[in-house]
This record gives sequence, C-alpha cells and structure tokens, in this order.
Amino acid sequence: MIDLGEIPLTESGSLAEARNKIRSLCATASGDEILATRLATVSSQVARGLHQTNRNARIEAALCDRRGGLDLVLNFVGELDDHSQGHLHRFFDQVQASRSSSGETLWRGRVALTAKALPGATVTRLKNIVAQKTRDQLLEEIQTKNTELEESLENLKRTRSAKDRMESELNIGRDIQMSMLPLSFPAFPEQEEFNVHAALYPAQEVGGDFYDMFMIDPDHFCFCVGDVSGKGVPAALFMAVTKTLIKSRAANDLSPASILSHVNTEQAEGNDSCMFVTIFLAILNLDTGDMVYSNAGHNPPFVQRSDGSLLRLDARHGPVIGAVEGIAYGEGQIQLAKGELTYLYTDGITEAMDIERALYSEDRLKHMLDNSSYSSAKHAVMETVDDVWAFQGDASQADDVTVLALRYLGRSAAEGESEIKLVIVNQFEEISRVSDTFNAFADRHGLTTAVKQRLNLCLDELFNNIISHGYKDDDEHQIDVHIRLLHGELAVTIADDGIPFNPFRNDPPDTLLSVEERPIGGLGVHLVRNFMDRVAYERHGEQNVVQLFKHLEENGNS
Amino acid sequence: MNITTENIDGITVVRLAGDLDTNTSTGAQDTIEEIIDGGATNMLVNLKEVGFVSSAGLRILLAAAKKINRLDGKLRISDLNETVQEVFEISGFITILKVFPTEETALQDA
Repeated sequence: MIDLGEIPLTESGSLAEARNKIRSLCATASGDEILATRLATVSSQVARGLHQTNRNARIEAALCDRRGGLDLVLNFVGELDDHSQGHLHRFFDQVQASRSSSGETLWRGRVALTAKALPGATVTRLKNIVAQKTRDQLLEEIQTKNTELEESLENLKRTRSAKDRMESELNIGRDIQMSMLPLSFPAFPEQEEFNVHAALYPAQEVGGDFYDMFMIDPDHFCFCVGDVSGKGVPAALFMAVTKTLIKSRAANDLSPASILSHVNTEQAEGNDSCMFVTIFLAILNLDTGDMVYSNAGHNPPFVQRSDGSLLRLDARHGPVIGAVEGIAYGEGQIQLAKGELTYLYTDGITEAMDIERALYSEDRLKHMLDNSSYSSAKHAVMETVDDVWAFQGDASQADDVTVLALRYLGRSAAEGESEIKLVIVNQFEEISRVSDTFNAFADRHGLTTAVKQRLNLCLDELFNNIISHGYKDDDEHQIDVHIRLLHGELAVTIADDGIPFNPFRNDPPDTLLSVEERPIGGLGVHLVRNFMDRVAYERHGEQNVVQLFKHLEENGNS
Repeated sequence: MNITTENIDGITVVRLAGDLDTNTSTGAQDTIEEIIDGGATNMLVNLKEVGFVSSAGLRILLAAAKKINRLDGKLRISDLNETVQEVFEISGFITILKVFPTEETALQDA
C-alpha cells in the first residue's frame, strides 16, 4: 500500500478542486481519460454528500496491490446518506465500509489499474497532484505569514531609533520575500521533459523580486519571474498576494494573458499605496514544446535556439500589474525545440553597477548568452550570477538579482518525428510502455483506432512470445523496438538476443476445433500474420529480427 | 482493466473495460474464475469497452468457457468491436463461443 495523501473537503470550493485532483490522479495512474472523468464525477457526487454533513470530511488516496495487479484506492471519510452510498455502489466494483480508530466511517472504493506497478516518478507525480495546495490553503498560509508579520511589527514598535526600525522592517520584508520562494533544487526531478533552475539574491535595501514555478497538470508547467516596486513589508505582502492569485488562477486557466488580466484586476482594485509588479509568465506544454507567455512590463527574456541563435522575446503584452484596473493583457507563443533554453531575469542583473557606477547592461547579458552554451539550466543560472558578481567587484549590490532558466527536453517521442525507437527489457510490464509510446505516436500521426488496436495486438503477441520463451537464462535482456511511418506504410522492427526462433515458420493452428478439443494457446502468431500485410524473420548475428509491415489506406484503416 | 458485474434475470453480466492482453489477462482470469467459483455459471461477458483481445485474452475466454461447460453452465460473449470481431473470426472463436452483437440479444438467449 502506497499512501498518496489526502484531499480535504472542508472548505468552500474544495469540491471542484477535489474533482480536478481525482480526475488528474486517475488519468495519470490509469492513462484512461474516460475512466478518470467518470471517477471524478462520482467522487464529487459522493464528496458533496460528505461535505454537507461532516466537519472533517476528506478523501484519502492510495495505491494498493491486488493479486495480479494494482488498484487506485479512494477512502471517503465521513458519514454518507443512502443517496451518496448509491453513487459509490454504482461506480465501484467493490465498496467496503469500515470504522477508523478515531471513530470515523471510511468508505473504500477501488479502481483497478492496467499497470501492475507504477514507476517511482509516476507515484511522485500522483503524490504531487494530491498535495497541490488549494486556494484556501494558500490564503491560510498568507494569513499565517500575516500573523508572524504582526508579531514582528510589535517587536518593531518597541525598537527605539528610526534607523533601527527601518532596518528591522527591511529585514522582515526580506524574510517574507525569501519564505515565499518555492522549493529547493533540483526542482521537479521526476519531470523528464525539462530541467529548471532559479536563483534569487536579495539586495540589502531595495528589492521585491520573486519567481514561482509549478505543474498545472501533467502536461503543463507554469513559471514566472516578477519584480515588485518598493521595498520592505508592503512590497513583500504585495508579492505574496500576487503569487497566490497567479497560482490559484492558473489551476483552472491555461492562458497567461487571462491569468495576468485577472491578477491585475484584483491587485489594481483598491491599491491605495499604488504599488505595482512587473511579471513575465509562461506556460509550457510539455508534450509539444509550445510555450505561451505574457509580459507585463518585465525585462524581455531570451531563448537560446537550437540553431545557435539568440532570440529576445520582445513583445510587451500590457503595462505593469496593479497600476490600472480592467486591462486585457495579450500573449505570445513560441515553439520550443528540444534542448532550447529559456532565460528569464530581473533588472537587478542589467542594472548591477561596478565601482565606477557603469551598468552591467542588457548588451553584456545578451553577449554572454549569445556566446555560451550551457550543460544545464543550473549551469546557465550560475554562470550569469558569477559574471554579475565579477562585474560588480567591490561595489555593493543595489537591487535583487534573479535568474530563472528552463531547458526544454521534450518527451521521448516528440512531435514531427515519423519514427520511434525504444529499448525495453524482457518483462511483461514493458509491453505497456511500448504500447503507450506507440499510441502517442499514432495519435500524432492521425492513425485510426482500428490500426492502433491491431498493431498493439501484434506487439503484445510478439513480445509475449519473446519474453515467455526466448531466453534460457533468468538474466535481463534488451529488446530493440523501432516503429516508423514511411510512404503510408507502418513498419515495425523488433530485435531480441534470445535463442534463434522464427515465429512464422510453424503452420497455422487448426481453428476449426471445438471448445473441448482446442489446445490453449498457439494463436498469437496466426493473428499477427492475418493483421499485418507482410511479416519477415531474419537471424542477424546474435539477434532474432522480426519485421512487420502494414499499409495504411487513405482513411488510415485496415 | 476494469471489471464490473451485474446480475440481470439470473445471468451474471461481466463487463470488461480496457485491452485484454498479456498484462491484463491474468487479473481478468482471476476475477472471472472467482465469479464462476462463486456459483455464477450462467454468464455474459460484455466486451463493449474492450479495445482489442490478444491471444492471451482469447486463452482466458477459452478457459472460462471450458470451466463453465464442465459445470453445465453457459457462457455468452457480446458487443465485439471491429477489431475483436476480426480476432474472433481469424481464430475461429466466432464458431466455438456463443457470440452476440449486443447485450440485449445475448440476454434473450435463455
């Protein structure tokens, strides 16, 4: 049993959030969007029943081994009326009711997953989905910070000299600012699609920089860098609210323009102190490399393109946030190729001064980025910061220095490729990995469901044969899989280092025998021959090489 | 693979969802055998939500049919999609198992 955490149902708005979490939990665990949506619907119906009557209502999520497989388990904790119980029984194969040690009733529903085990990265992702903070939790955190702040202010009042008070207030502001920065690095190590790094060095006096980064859903990553006008406690609070607004809005909104428009409206309203914040915010589609971004008065970021050129994202999509109510921000779009590096920074870099009061300048930054290639996002961040410190020398740091770099790495089968290559080991679970990769490939190339099903069936048959019968030892072996789409034909090559075996040599089985006479098994290769247009076998050195060909007609069907 | 059951007029309707392949068939076999062992020998397996059935899947349907036959029960299969229909035709299962186009028609076969 792997505990994935719990989803509270006690606050207003928590039902919608619970629904979203369960949908993405189930979709990530099962890969089945339809099942996920159904489960989310049922869970939110049940959750509504819990929510109305229970003070401590929540849903606990876990993964649980079952004989021969794996279940996603949801425990609905609290009293349920008959109506809500009906929802549970209609959806789940099996519902268990039990009582916890603290006397709470616990309704357990199980959803069988197709995978027998999930990779560690997926489990981490599932935990992250459950742990994602709700809007109310974020607000609560701010309230806690506010309380801390009030205490600090009390202390402040007790300090005597104006100078002491000034310094003290700046320190409090900086504490709030730093405590709002997310996570430690490496961040999101489980995401193979990108690597990201950020650093923020606060200045002694002025400064209100911040950055944030989070997964919106399994396919979308949001990141931003901002700079609040002003300093000390008011700036830090303005930043805290801005960050919270961004995060809660982004949970249900994939448009940076729409997110910034919303944040601006909220922040501009009743903004008596006339504070404002510059923000660059981007949402990256991890599947396609498509990055949508909006720039509200912030320094234009750079992108190191794969052809070696440096692109400056010049577009400005609106004024600084918080200044004028009712602005509709725009957004731009860029397609990132694998390996490309997006580079965000604040004016603390370009306005860093040396001892002669000369500016570091955008030109210098641009020149450096144009002439460097970095091994990782962290490398890019560290090189910049080192260069700024070297430039600054003994001069004091005038403003916060913030850099955020993100390298897009793409998924293993990226768009535009008309082939996929992967290596699996001789374990049955690996077949699912091939079929997942192939299905994504098939969807990108518009292959029909029938073609997908048939090829998956053939892969299942051949891998099953190789893994079950191909090896004399118990060692781990690699199987190479190469699938390509060429001139309207799907061609598959499977190479294994098992014992020499030509699967297509045997005669077809007698398919006319009755139930009682029929031997179990022996049909797989027969199905493969029938579903493919052409099959071939070759012993190549130490390898069995099987090839399958399937011509795709105009409608993509068989 | 998701498996749900429902009793309609004395027939145990077993609805499978997902692909019935190497990785899912063991679990499905366990579940179906449990259902048979629980006394349900009058059974309809509805494949409406099944994408494809590989030989590993055929194997468990055949095993279920043999087991139910021995108990003088009856196994029906319904709602084959195009791919599964072809698998049944190529393998000859279309003639050795009782296959119906829909759950309704299968249930009428008393």
